[in-house]
Amino acid sequence: MVKIKTDILIIGSGPAGLNAAYTAASHGANVIIVDEAITIGGQLKQQTQILNNLPGEFNSQRGFSLVDDFYERLKSLPITFLLRHTMIGIYKNNSIGVTNGKETFPITYKKLIIATGAAEEATIFPGWTLPGVMTIGAAQILLNREHVLPGNEAIILGFNEFSLEVGKQLESCGVNIKAIVAKGNYDVELFHEAKNVGIRVVSNATIISATGVNEVEKVVLNIDGIEEEHMVDLVCIGNRLSPILEAFEILSCQLAYQEDLGGLFPKYYNSLETTNTSVYVAGNAAGITNIGGILITGEIAAWNALYSLELLEYSQFKNRSRALWEQLYRIEESQVFKARIAAIKETYKDESLALPPFVELLLEEC
Amino acid sequence: MEKSTIVCRCEEINIDEIEIAIKNGAQEFDDIKRLTRCGMGTCQSKICMNLVRKIISEKLNKPLGEIAPSKMRMPLKVTRLSALTKNIDLCIEEKATLEEGEQTSV
Amino acid sequence: MSKRYDIVIIGSGVIGSSIAYHLSESQQEEVLVIDKGFPLSGTSGSTQAWVWVHSKAPASYGELSMFSAELYPILEKKIGDVEYKRTGGISPFFSESEREKALMLAEKQATVGIPIEVLSQEEVLSREPALSPNIVGATYSPIDGNVNPFRLVELFIRAAKKNNVEFSFYTSVTSILKKNGLFEIETEKGGKYTAKKIIFAGGPWMKELASLIDIKVPVKQVRGQILITEPLTNLIKHTIAGMRQADNGEVLIGYSLEEVGYDRRTTLDIIQNTAQMAIDYIPSLANANIVRAFSGIRVIPEDELPIIGEIPNVENAYISVMHSGITLSPIIGTLMAELLLHGDTSIDLQQYSLSRFDK
Repeated sequence: MVKIKTDILIIGSGPAGLNAAYTAASHGANVIIVDEAITIGGQLKQQTQILNNLPGEFNSQRGFSLVDDFYERLKSLPITFLLRHTMIGIYKNNSIGVTNGKETFPITYKKLIIATGAAEEATIFPGWTLPGVMTIGAAQILLNREHVLPGNEAIILGFNEFSLEVGKQLESCGVNIKAIVAKGNYDVELFHEAKNVGIRVVSNATIISATGVNEVEKVVLNIDGIEEEHMVDLVCIGNRLSPILEAFEILSCQLAYQEDLGGLFPKYYNSLETTNTSVYVAGNAAGITNIGGILITGEIAAWNALYSLELLEYSQFKNRSRALWEQLYRIEESQVFKARIAAIKETYKDESLALPPFVELLLEEC
Repeated sequence: MEKSTIVCRCEEINIDEIEIAIKNGAQEFDDIKRLTRCGMGTCQSKICMNLVRKIISEKLNKPLGEIAPSKMRMPLKVTRLSALTKNIDLCIEEKATLEEGEQTSV
Repeated sequence: MSKRYDIVIIGSGVIGSSIAYHLSESQQEEVLVIDKGFPLSGTSGSTQAWVWVHSKAPASYGELSMFSAELYPILEKKIGDVEYKRTGGISPFFSESEREKALMLAEKQATVGIPIEVLSQEEVLSREPALSPNIVGATYSPIDGNVNPFRLVELFIRAAKKNNVEFSFYTSVTSILKKNGLFEIETEKGGKYTAKKIIFAGGPWMKELASLIDIKVPVKQVRGQILITEPLTNLIKHTIAGMRQADNGEVLIGYSLEEVGYDRRTTLDIIQNTAQMAIDYIPSLANANIVRAFSGIRVIPEDELPIIGEIPNVENAYISVMHSGITLSPIIGTLMAELLLHGDTSIDLQQYSLSRFDK
């Protein structure tokens, strides 16, 4: 075995990693992309709904078909896919350790883009560790990827776009969604959407407990002070997401906190470079956003990595950078974009660096 | 919520045990981890970390952003010893001096 | 207004906590323990926690370690279950030439009553079948064992608190002044304490701590990285050569010694080296999974022997710093309590005095 070297190493082959790989490889960089799954695509693979909010160069399509789209774009480019490989650690001098479960080997990079995505947060209540209680994302994977029905009678905890979407997918496969439990206030539009497809949403509600002998059999809800019991064999937790941080932590990247970005995330500049030089962040790992934001941040990270590798002319770099940030501004939810820009401003402040005029401009825009 | 509700499912640590650790002066996730084993199991705190941070934040009345996350450690994934040693010469430039005994040369 | 104590201990690791507990047994003195962090966040919480005697040299140091090991069963009766297990210790060797050294060690340790057997290959493998057949022999002593360091420190603190010792965590000491025979201690949080006597038990932070009273303590910081496997069914019975198996089945493995200051990160190259060493000793570990690694900064005095006792030229100031804090904590706590309460110790500590470095 020889030592593996690459210009740009990408961790994670979800939409951010794939778009970063496409951007980097189509501008002359050698790219290696590492992912622990068997196939590329990350969480896109089980998204059967139509994704709107895609940047202009993509057609509106379903998640799994966007993965196919990427596959077509990437197959002729100088990209090495290391699937079923996991980054487990780092060595000195821009080198990480990767394992496939049988052996461990180093990969040396000039630039590293980490696009490890996000994790679904847990919610605790008495009985949450019973089999049959799972995250809404796990239920979706069972349904769309493993083609297994996760249950027959379900309660969904947490009312948001994603939990409703998966609720609909479950219903269309014959799962009876007894209710989606919304804590407090919720989006009225979303409520109507649920109503239109006949899914009951209960507001001002929480779960008191889930009980059962070897698996969940019953849940007790508190709806506006009134207890309600449901016999169910599936409880889905549709909580918020938070960035996955492990890789950043062992690379000694500093962390920051922004509620609107999903909590803790690695600090970064407008280049999406972290406080560890040559390490970039992209996608949900850089703050929880929509699919458009995920794709664009992938491109921004790769674009900056390319420029620092001197693979782009300055004017080319500058024009596209601006266009990308403007695109991000339009596509992302405004509070996410605002939080992102505020976070970038903080990074410059913490490092006692002057804020680039461009970021000031973005600040003004929001 | 019932104090017996599990927070760390790997090590079966409940809310009560975490609150006692906080009462005894714990301020960070890792303080609680060392006292209770919370987060030391197979998932290495991936599931419980933010749950515990939230409890600390509420109990100590401190913003969530000020509660440090658990210190992450290599290997980032459960890895077989044989997989760590297979290509060891390729991975390591010079072999470290290792010693047996109580890590002492006395 | 500053709060007054008879004794202030700086450092709430295994040594500081043990001293606090042993002092508190007499319930005569008002004692405060200050720590810049939280218990177990430093060295005492990042160790394999061996109670290790048999290869400690010179023999007098081995003897001190043995006395400490002998105190563990009594300590458990007093403070509670610290999961002390006298497993016996095995230190294997891989070449015949090392047998000579092993025999010499056994002879020397016998002079102070430390029982050591030099085992043949068959004897080692029959005692510990998981060990590699490449081993040609080992030294063995029934006195060695291990303990749960988390339980140990927690129970020292709990027992001390019960005897009215006060603890202040997340409290960094910023200055120590001696005025009218009293120590005036100021902390980062703005706290002020006075003490008649002060004990430095700062472990790897001892250099910085002692510099507050212009004292030099010749210690170095050494990082040790330890791997932890998933829980395995009974694999290792003894405390062996860099590894032990905990009650819950996890095997702890560690061999590294690196002088990297306070850097507590783990590194993949050491993890891989350590894994290789583990397989060399116990081949079947090749199929085990590593769940995590951790590192601790150990403190090692320049001549590797403990520094215990009065600080020369600073009346009423005391020090306790050593590499093998877990092994020695019961005896150090006992002796320091004797020293502070009665001005004398039942075991002569002269050879461990800080003054030995003046020469």
